[in-house]
Amino acid sequence: MALIDTLAQNWPKLIDGVGTTLALTGLGALIAAMAAPPLALLRAQGSALAQAPLRIYISFIRGTPILAQLFLVFYGSGQFRVELQSLGLWGFFRDPFNCAVLVFAINSCAYQTEILRGGIQAVAPGEIEAGRAIGMSRLTVLRRIVFPHAYRIAWPALGNEIILLMKASALASVVTVFDLMGRTRQIFSRSFDFSIYFWAAVLYLAMTISFVLLWRLAERRLSRHMTGQTPQGVQ
Amino acid sequence: MQPQPSQDVVLSAQNIHKSFGTHEVLKGISLDSRNHDVISILGSSGSGKSTFLRCLNFLEIPTSGQVSVHGEEIVVRNGRPGDPRQIERMRQRLGMVFQQFNLWTHRTVLENVMEGPVQVKRRPKAEARDQAEALLARVGLAERMHMYPAQLSGGQQQRVAIARALAMEPDAILFDEPTSALDPELVGEVLKVMQDLAAEGRTMIVVTHEMAFAREVSTEVVFLHQGRVAEQGTPDKLFNHPDSEAFARFISNIR
Amino acid sequence: MFELFSYGPLGWGDEILAGLWVTLRLAVTTLPVGLLIGFAVAGLSLSHNRGLRALGVGYTTLMRGLPEILTLFIVYNGVGLLLNRAMAMLSPEAAPVEFSPFAAGVVALALVFAAFAAEVLRGAFLAVPEGQIMAGRAIGMTPRQIFWRIKLPQLWRFALPGMGNLWLNLLKDTALVSVIALDDLMRATKVAVGVTKQPFTFYLVACLIYWLLCLVSELGLSRLEQRANRGVRRA
Repeated sequence: MALIDTLAQNWPKLIDGVGTTLALTGLGALIAAMAAPPLALLRAQGSALAQAPLRIYISFIRGTPILAQLFLVFYGSGQFRVELQSLGLWGFFRDPFNCAVLVFAINSCAYQTEILRGGIQAVAPGEIEAGRAIGMSRLTVLRRIVFPHAYRIAWPALGNEIILLMKASALASVVTVFDLMGRTRQIFSRSFDFSIYFWAAVLYLAMTISFVLLWRLAERRLSRHMTGQTPQGVQ
Repeated sequence: MQPQPSQDVVLSAQNIHKSFGTHEVLKGISLDSRNHDVISILGSSGSGKSTFLRCLNFLEIPTSGQVSVHGEEIVVRNGRPGDPRQIERMRQRLGMVFQQFNLWTHRTVLENVMEGPVQVKRRPKAEARDQAEALLARVGLAERMHMYPAQLSGGQQQRVAIARALAMEPDAILFDEPTSALDPELVGEVLKVMQDLAAEGRTMIVVTHEMAFAREVSTEVVFLHQGRVAEQGTPDKLFNHPDSEAFARFISNIR
Repeated sequence: MFELFSYGPLGWGDEILAGLWVTLRLAVTTLPVGLLIGFAVAGLSLSHNRGLRALGVGYTTLMRGLPEILTLFIVYNGVGLLLNRAMAMLSPEAAPVEFSPFAAGVVALALVFAAFAAEVLRGAFLAVPEGQIMAGRAIGMTPRQIFWRIKLPQLWRFALPGMGNLWLNLLKDTALVSVIALDDLMRATKVAVGVTKQPFTFYLVACLIYWLLCLVSELGLSRLEQRANRGVRRA
């Protein structure tokens, strides 16, 4: 069984790669998730002037390959080596892992902002008015009404975005990060054992599918109060 | 009760049953429609009247019972059409007008009316076009024939749908609540067209909530209640001397 | 600065344009192939036969769950291997053939495109209102006539927005082929960077070119959508 042999020989490297892939994806998505809410709010309710730079940023991110974005930051930073050194940032940019996380965060933030904006704009105006009518402050309305609804509406799309990010994280291998894809390419270039790709595919699918299941579980919890069922499940 | 085999029975349904899962919607309904009959089918919502109409041209397949058109029985085997060709042939002879019009949104008004004659009956295009133009003129929409359905009001769309049904030169036309989806002020123009069709002797089976139409235009009224025929006869008999309490209650609720 | 991008032996303008030409050729070649496979897969997932349906759903799940770059390597390395094995069986003395990177790019990108396109097409088929299909049946149309006369003509109207997005993704995904040594825009940029040592400038220009391509595509797509909806939406 060539397939099993390949796995037996290489599983430590593959598992290590899976860890790096999860770290790239998780960090990128998390940083993006922290920046997205205020940007989404600006995008939904800000003045045209305030929105302009945001629109350009989002359009640029959506209009360029993530690989090109990665090269721009990782290789491009070399052009400003002296400046970065004087700022003490060169150490950060020299590490491909850092650059990859940075690019994934910037990239995902653009998408997450747009998704969340859609969620914010889909909140029923009547509920916001009802909040104002009982004397809620603007911030309280956002915190208690707008964002809880917006996240519930945007949840499936946000999940899709994170899956896309996980797939895109494989590009980090091109700038020598040893994520799952990087490990796979490394193993193949040494052994020309094609079955390593099979295991890479299996691991990526396993990650995607477990993520989908987890995300759905979270969605059910998030919208528990929306299903119209009593806790006992009585009609 | 033996059905009388007669030359001028266009459409005959015998003992139609229809269940959805365990829920029996139709519990044995029979109806004969002769040439020039205008039959109104009344009933409260959930009485099965639309389901029955859709069983007549096999948009719903009856769980049991027979439907025949001009004496030719439609074959059903194991809840499936025995011969799809036979059903397609039969449908060409029965026009249908839907509650939601169901015009093809990607085709103009004229193309909607020509579609059946050209594609199904394989008529020459020029001939179908002349016929379609004449029909559209009859329903008062000659100037709209190059528009798309979305550019028309509901009443206009329904008149196009009637023209589309007429273009097949059907032996009978089934109307499934043709005015229920219309704004009240648009109901009249559609009823007017239907009344004209009745006056020229078209055979029509109409599921409707329009009491005035049932009373003044139809030759026969059938009242369905809980999946059965609860009352049947001339409009005069039903509206003036109803036998069943259910129908008396039904008309008193409408008023 | 402008010298760098001028035409001729001193500047890199001609190399970059040649790369752009490869990128465009790749995208335009992939589109019909991907659409064709996409139609076939959509047909499978809409089939009444349970086995065929599982095949269609399995294909879309698999291809959408794998990183595009992994698919590309599997096709490039795997098909090359298979091709050589098949050639060796046919004529043992033949020299080993090289699977052209362009062909590998087209196949891999088309396989990915097809999985997403199949979902868009499936959705579009199901979006044709049931009532219109019933109206077709009511005048005695055969299933075949209903497909050709009612469903197919409306398909592109429902599929166009989704397909537009897929086209933009395809344009961006072409950048991946630079890692299998196809001289597309991305790789031409990389070569220029290697000589000029101005990575940021050149990768920025590459990004701007991709961005422009996407913006022009979006403009064209919105025109197409307007045409597709002519007469269908209320004014």
